[in-house]
Amino acid sequence: MNPSPLAGPGTKVLGIETSCDETAAAVVVDAHHVVSSVVSSQVDLHARFGGVVPEIASRAHVELLAPVVAQAMIEAGVDGDVDAVAATVGPGLIGSLLVGVSAAKTLALVWGVPFVGVNHLEAHLYASFLEEPDLPLPVVVLLVSGGHTLLVLMEAHGRYRLLGGTIDDAAGEAFDKVARFLGLGYPGGPAIDRVATQGDPAAIAFPRAIPDEAYDFSFSGLKTAVINHVRKHPEVVTADVAASFQEAVVDVLVTKTLAAAQQHGASGICLAGGVAANSRLRERVLDTCVQHGLHPFLPSPSMCTDNAAMVAAAGWWRLQSDGPTPLDVGASPNLTLTFHP
Amino acid sequence: MLILGIDTATPQVSVAIGGHEGVLASTLSARGRQHAESLTPAIEFTCRMARVEFREIGVVAVDLGPGLFTGLRVGVSAAKAMALALGLPMIGVPSLDLLAFPVRFTPKRIVAVVDARRGELFYAFYRQVPGGIQRLSAHQVGTADDLASELLASGEDNLLVGDGALRYREAFEGLHKVEILDEALAYPSASSLVSLAHAQALREQFVKPWELTPVYLRKPDAEANWTTREQS
Repeated sequence: MNPSPLAGPGTKVLGIETSCDETAAAVVVDAHHVVSSVVSSQVDLHARFGGVVPEIASRAHVELLAPVVAQAMIEAGVDGDVDAVAATVGPGLIGSLLVGVSAAKTLALVWGVPFVGVNHLEAHLYASFLEEPDLPLPVVVLLVSGGHTLLVLMEAHGRYRLLGGTIDDAAGEAFDKVARFLGLGYPGGPAIDRVATQGDPAAIAFPRAIPDEAYDFSFSGLKTAVINHVRKHPEVVTADVAASFQEAVVDVLVTKTLAAAQQHGASGICLAGGVAANSRLRERVLDTCVQHGLHPFLPSPSMCTDNAAMVAAAGWWRLQSDGPTPLDVGASPNLTLTFHP
Repeated sequence: MLILGIDTATPQVSVAIGGHEGVLASTLSARGRQHAESLTPAIEFTCRMARVEFREIGVVAVDLGPGLFTGLRVGVSAAKAMALALGLPMIGVPSLDLLAFPVRFTPKRIVAVVDARRGELFYAFYRQVPGGIQRLSAHQVGTADDLASELLASGEDNLLVGDGALRYREAFEGLHKVEILDEALAYPSASSLVSLAHAQALREQFVKPWELTPVYLRKPDAEANWTTREQS
């Protein structure tokens, strides 16, 4: 048994992430020093289906997890001498989550160290702390990915207030659907980002949907507007459509996030989730923060998309606050941000 | 050499530890659909009952399936993690072998049958040989009617074992020269796994954690549909 695994500097956490189509493991010291971070993406396995196929994802996790964990440990120069094992227990695909949870609990048992079940959404929030461990709270976090669109006020560690969310499609889902319609391939986010650099963001004035609730989002109307526009104007330049669509999404995201930050007296704005890797969103958040005297916290793109370093970081914080998670825990595919496993 | 055996390919979770002196301890939970929740505490408890430290374990064995996909993955993932953490070799044994092994003291042909859901069965044929069993066929996927025709055509005495045989009891019950074993032997057990793995361990038939692959016997639906589309 390692001495005092719950506290003290130099606490090494092995993180494991298998909630969707990324198999990942990382070793992180004290929630901010990333010693190793290995991500094996299954994107090629799912690309021909235009989205993640749960059974294919689960099977791939079983094949990939042992080598990915081994690689993360080799790169970190550790051989079982970690102080805790953290794994995503939800939300996500049940079959995929179970592969990581089962492996992580076994590793913790065999090594005689605590296991920590991590909320995937909370882990995304902690990506910012990997690079800015002393980030001043409160902050407003815009969490945007293929499955989630959340605007969150983080008041203290482990204390969140959900300000708003999407009422229909997630932001990343809108990117995927529009990219598929435009024939740009899967995943849609990076594809649109790439093509949009060649286009004019002001070419087409797509609608900016502002739902009734101040901090909610809606993207399905925008998606329909894009489809209708292209059908009506088949000669339109695809790059202009991509750039204008992206601008409409980013506009709404940035406007509402800024309003939330100002209303709640936040020190800054954090970006999180796969869509936070979008270059235009990052550029606009940076500009907006500079203009309004807010701190921009933009994790590097590899820490925005699913990874295990953020899981290890969130696990470290949860270990401090709540202690270990019992070994008879399972996966929670429908976990929400404010409910901790 | 101590072998830890993990079996989660059925509605049950079972763990056993043993070696040349037989099984030292085993646990079984049959409450179903709680594989991930039950398995880790079951491993801990089984080793404690056997008074075995994790570092004394020499081999990790696991039921490879076919069976319930999600349950199967929970066990395989835990087994791989354990082998990785302790630097141990692994042995994978198919679920159908595990079903046939405990009923081997019969001159009849043994038919191990697992419920594959969706109206299908996973099955294979076995015969007793000195010291164990021999599989006579590849693993097969088919309906109860498919299997019933095969049994009739064989003209042999057949002994059916497994939850698949019980679920489709009415398809086999009236058949000439066919006997069905009861619930007590309907699922594979980790104790059989340890015994079968021990025989393989003596022959040093090991695999590395990253070489071990579950036996699904069925493609993911999306891939199966894709293939159909490509061919049409």
